[in-house]
Amino acid sequence: AAAMQGDFMPKGGKRVVVVGGGWGGATAAKYLRLGDPSIEVVLLEPNKEFISCPFSNLVLSGVRTLPSLTISYDGLRAHGVKVLHAPAVAIEPEIQRVRVGEGFLQYDRLIVSPGVDFIFEQIDGAGQGERVVHAWKAGDQTVTLAHQLQSMPDGDVFVLTVPPVAFRCPPGPYERTSQIAWYLKTNKPKSKLIVLDANQNIVSKTGLFRAAWKAYPNIDYRASNKVTKVDFGERVVTTEFGDRVKFDVLNLIPPQRAGAIALRSGLGGDDQRWCPVDHVTYESTKARNIHVIGDATTGLPVPKSGNVANSMGKITAHAVTRLLAGKPPVPMPPGNTCYSWVSDREAIAVVNAYKIENNKVVQIEQKLTPAQSPQVAQNAVGWAQSIWHDMLG
Amino acid sequence: AGPLDHPGYVKSATCSACHGFAGASRSDTMPVLAGMDAAYIKKALQDYASGKRVSPEMEPFAKQALQLGVDDVAGYFASQKKAPTPVTADPAAVARGRTAAATCAGCHGADGKGDPSKQIPDLRGQPPGYLRNQMMLFKADRRSPGDANLKAIKTLMKTVPDQTFADLAAYYSSQR
Ligand SMILES: Cc1cc2nc3c(=O)[nH]c(=O)nc-3n(C[C@H](O)[C@H](O)[C@H](O)COP(=O)(O)OP(=O)(O)OC[C@H]3O[C@@H](n4cnc5c(N)ncnc54)[C@H](O)[C@@H]3O)c2cc1C
Ligand code: HEC
Ligand code: HEC
Repeated sequence: AAAMQGDFMPKGGKRVVVVGGGWGGATAAKYLRLGDPSIEVVLLEPNKEFISCPFSNLVLSGVRTLPSLTISYDGLRAHGVKVLHAPAVAIEPEIQRVRVGEGFLQYDRLIVSPGVDFIFEQIDGAGQGERVVHAWKAGDQTVTLAHQLQSMPDGDVFVLTVPPVAFRCPPGPYERTSQIAWYLKTNKPKSKLIVLDANQNIVSKTGLFRAAWKAYPNIDYRASNKVTKVDFGERVVTTEFGDRVKFDVLNLIPPQRAGAIALRSGLGGDDQRWCPVDHVTYESTKARNIHVIGDATTGLPVPKSGNVANSMGKITAHAVTRLLAGKPPVPMPPGNTCYSWVSDREAIAVVNAYKIENNKVVQIEQKLTPAQSPQVAQNAVGWAQSIWHDMLG
Repeated sequence: AGPLDHPGYVKSATCSACHGFAGASRSDTMPVLAGMDAAYIKKALQDYASGKRVSPEMEPFAKQALQLGVDDVAGYFASQKKAPTPVTADPAAVARGRTAAATCAGCHGADGKGDPSKQIPDLRGQPPGYLRNQMMLFKADRRSPGDANLKAIKTLMKTVPDQTFADLAAYYSSQR
């Protein structure tokens, strides 16, 4: 950080700074370089390696390992992206600067893809999240939860809590439910899994998950059970209706909002939770020359998924390349496929295709796989290999 | 000029999530689109969109391609340099497959090159897992069920034992 003082990397020609090297940001950085190699691209990402949230539920059940979901940023470097492993501290829209360390970077356009942060203050007793195991950002937390699950004595109770929408990955909590239930059924037949869902029903792929859960009588799924309090000493969570539920292992997925840097920089909408954007360029409606992509956005009829963030990265890279060349942006629709594993070998999927109508994203169709199958699981593996390479290869 | 400068790119950007950058699939299950015959791509997309060729993944994206302009989308992938699968095949399986492929040569040619004038696809360099799966689907009449034009290939597939499909797939996949 000593080197990052003042204007530590003076800008020469056109420069785009990307905040966040996850699904949206990594894709945007790569595609900017592919689209116009004369653009200097600086990516700010504190993590030394990329770790995929998609497939991380399989680490809990022991079906995959975390290293198999970990990818180096060297592929981006080979495309000429300047990867700096440091967080953006602040954004100064008026003077087009990002503060990093004790210095700053000047930009022509900024792309912000910070993902989500957790609203711990909505859970009494959660503090700043010190003791919360959410495993909702893949990494150490995933390993911790996997270890807690795998080392818990047979007969113990696992409690999983689902926050109210909107949250990252609508089918994610239910894929996780399936993986934990599969693991317990196979390895700890006397244990049970209590799911306390703040929502009125399974949020995504409802029928397919219900069908899958017929194989898991160990699941006690309770809809409309919003958790508002946790007591780590007593090992009890409390719902908004005052029901107290005892746990041996707790996976508390907290309520979510856009990554802190976006909200701190004034990019949040009226809700101060998510960031409204233009549907064609992803330029923030709150600040010029700043584009927001991925989970942090709101107002589009799309789920908060890695596949959508990847789409937005490509679209925004294209728009920014055109805008920097003084050309009008071309409308490009996003796409989405979310695969969910319901056992160690079977998966289901939801697929969404979109078009742009009057400069707004409109869904053409949503399609579900008719049933769970090993073939869908194989396609999920294929999707992951392709999209990881599309982002970072 | 790279792939992003092709007029079809802006209509095909979502496809790389599964089919790889510019249609160069990395995986065993997703077909390579780079360098594929444009008319075959177009026919495949029309078949998916109408529901004749059944795929929950492809039906929405085929509809998207048809709405945005299927000729541009097909032209984009057809104009990319052919990119054979990085998935490698077992040499022994390739050798067995070469022998078994004699019955297919009438339509696909000895090496699997196919015939664009008859919309017979090029099988060379496709991932083995994808090829094998398609053969199984033909055999069970689950690829374009009931399609009269595919009667001959399906009748033939019923005579091929399941274990041979992996060999055939290894052979065609290894051809360049
Ligand atoms: C368990 C689970 C399963 C999932 N499964 C799927 C799935 O199967 N398919 C699917 O499509 N999606 C899935 N998702 C959702 C997917 O992970 C997210 O939608 C995706 O990560 C969103 O991309 P993003 O770029 O918005 O955020 P992220 O990928 O989280 O990237 C944000 C990056 O920004 C960095 N960052 C944050 N603040 C700063 C700062 N101030 N300065 C610099 N960098 C910063 C972070 O370190 C992070 O690397 C899943 C999610 C979970 C939790
Ligand atoms: C979510 C994954 C996914 C996405 C996104 C996707 N495809 Fe596919 N595609 C598949 C799968 C799986 C198959 C094989 C389906 C089958 O069994 O017939 C396929 C098959 C195809 C085929 C037939 C290939 C052949 O050899 O017969 C074409 C053509 C095709 N896709 C084009 C596209 C285009 C164009 C797009 C984007 C507009 C696209 N795909 C997006 C998964 C996807
Ligand atoms: C009578 C002609 C004919 C014969 C014989 C034939 N095929 Fe084909 N094959 C076709 C046609 C036509 C298609 C494209 C079908 C479509 O459009 O859906 C095809 C498609 C395929 C595909 C799918 C390719 C893709 O990209 O999706 C595979 C795999 C295949 N054939 C393998 C074989 C094998 C193996 C044999 C021999 C055992 C064989 N075929 C014999 C005509 C034939």
